[in-house]
Amino acid sequence: MTTSISAGFFETIALIFSNEKYLLMIWEGLQTTLLISLGAAALGLLLGLLVAIVKISNSKSKWMAVPRFICGVYTTIIRGTPMALQLFILTFVVFAIRGFPTTVTAIIAFGINSGAYVSENIRAGILSVDKGQTEAGRALGLSGAQTMMKIVIPQGMKNVIPAIGNELIALIKETSIVSMVGLFDLTQAAKVLGSGQNLATYFAPMMVVALFYLAIVYLLTWLIKIIEGRLRAGDKR
Amino acid sequence: MINDNNVIIHADNVYKNFHKTEVLKGVSLEVKKGEKVVIIGASGSGKSTLLRCLNSLDEATYGEVWLHGKLLTAVDPYLHRDIIALSHTYAAVKERLLQEGVSEDALHDRAIEKIKAEDLLKSNEGAAYKKAIKEFEKANRLDINVARRSMGMVFQNFNLFHNMNVLDNMIYAPVKLKLMTKEDAIEKAKGLLTRINLPDKIDAYPSSLSGGQKQRIAIARSLMMNPEVMLFDEPTSALDPEMVGEVLSLMKELAESGMTMVVVTHEMGFAREVASRVLFVNDGKIAEENTPEEFFSNPKDSRLREFLSKVL
Repeated sequence: MTTSISAGFFETIALIFSNEKYLLMIWEGLQTTLLISLGAAALGLLLGLLVAIVKISNSKSKWMAVPRFICGVYTTIIRGTPMALQLFILTFVVFAIRGFPTTVTAIIAFGINSGAYVSENIRAGILSVDKGQTEAGRALGLSGAQTMMKIVIPQGMKNVIPAIGNELIALIKETSIVSMVGLFDLTQAAKVLGSGQNLATYFAPMMVVALFYLAIVYLLTWLIKIIEGRLRAGDKR
Repeated sequence: MINDNNVIIHADNVYKNFHKTEVLKGVSLEVKKGEKVVIIGASGSGKSTLLRCLNSLDEATYGEVWLHGKLLTAVDPYLHRDIIALSHTYAAVKERLLQEGVSEDALHDRAIEKIKAEDLLKSNEGAAYKKAIKEFEKANRLDINVARRSMGMVFQNFNLFHNMNVLDNMIYAPVKLKLMTKEDAIEKAKGLLTRINLPDKIDAYPSSLSGGQKQRIAIARSLMMNPEVMLFDEPTSALDPEMVGEVLSLMKELAESGMTMVVVTHEMGFAREVASRVLFVNDGKIAEENTPEEFFSNPKDSRLREFLSKVL
């Protein structure tokens, strides 16, 4: 019995990789997963940086009070409610427009969600930069924005990279819930592959897909390490 | 005071509060071209805050700071009798004093003194008052970012930009602010590095430099902006003892070249040798101000005598 299961397991895997239809399914799922992950990561980083800058901005200027309040509400709500619920609300309420691509909705949903976490990471990173750096920039006559963009943020980013890496990894894996709104991603591909119409066994396709996730995350970890090493070059010399 | 071309910095009755603690309690200071003003005092006396108020790194709570006849801070209405006279409060106070039987010709002065002494001005004093403040600002105010270009500042902790090498540290601000071309800036930076004997450090990152080297480069970075006045905030306090000398000798060289300097320091020898005037700050006020000879040999303030007996 045991032998037949394990033999069946490897045979199924061989079948998946030799059958064009099955490979196409995985390929399609992989594309969706990567597309949503990349789009959401880009949106999330941009949003996160923006929100972090607004939250850190000069507390004395009056016209920043409203944006700062909005950003506060944003992070509170996003971090305080489940991701799946946010995805549902965006798909079935906000973008419940006929013909609106669900993939785009998913990118926006994950981007908004990721932005809230990234903003807190970036904020902490910016605050970790010594106040003297800002003072030195301002004392030379540079504006607050110039000092922030060229002196503080580059130094803060170095400290933020590991935390952002974590967030991106979490994001990639979290996209596996998009099948709940009818998208065909890697996880959904495994499910369909394992169903009675196809392989009629879940174990092998789930393992294959798990390996894909693992490979993506491993690649990302490697990339982050390289970026971090580049940014820290100034420390060692 | 404003018309005197020789006055570079004029601080007028500066107060500074941090939350509820009063750090500066009415300091006035004039720095003339070429002067070397040394400020000493115990830690916590407010001497660094005073220096930082001069270029608005700490914004004065009350009082005004002027650079070459241009206002760097907000307008302090208490320093302008003509503006006070436009306020609602002035009218009310005058009315009250009249009823109390103050004579007509003393009324104006008495009302203004009373408003000043009792801090009676409120946030809303009417349109004429508001307009007067705005007009005064428009006529006199200089953007702080522009003002700081001509006020170099050297910090206790050097504050070189960690993410840039020495050359970029020096040329970033003048190039970014379009004060010189990149080529000219590099040329000038090389010249300054040669002058401070560190020409081989041009590509080095701050983390590889000693404290003394960092501080000399920080001074050179300030000089890149061609400042009219240099502010030093305890420039040698964070240095190992054997590195104090190299920084002080660079500062002396700078003083000899005619640079206007305001120096907060604990180096009494430097004060004695270089200062044209020494100030003793105690409890948020200037307790004594004199030539270095008089200041050290014949101190009048009792707190200063105590301080000198401990540090000399």
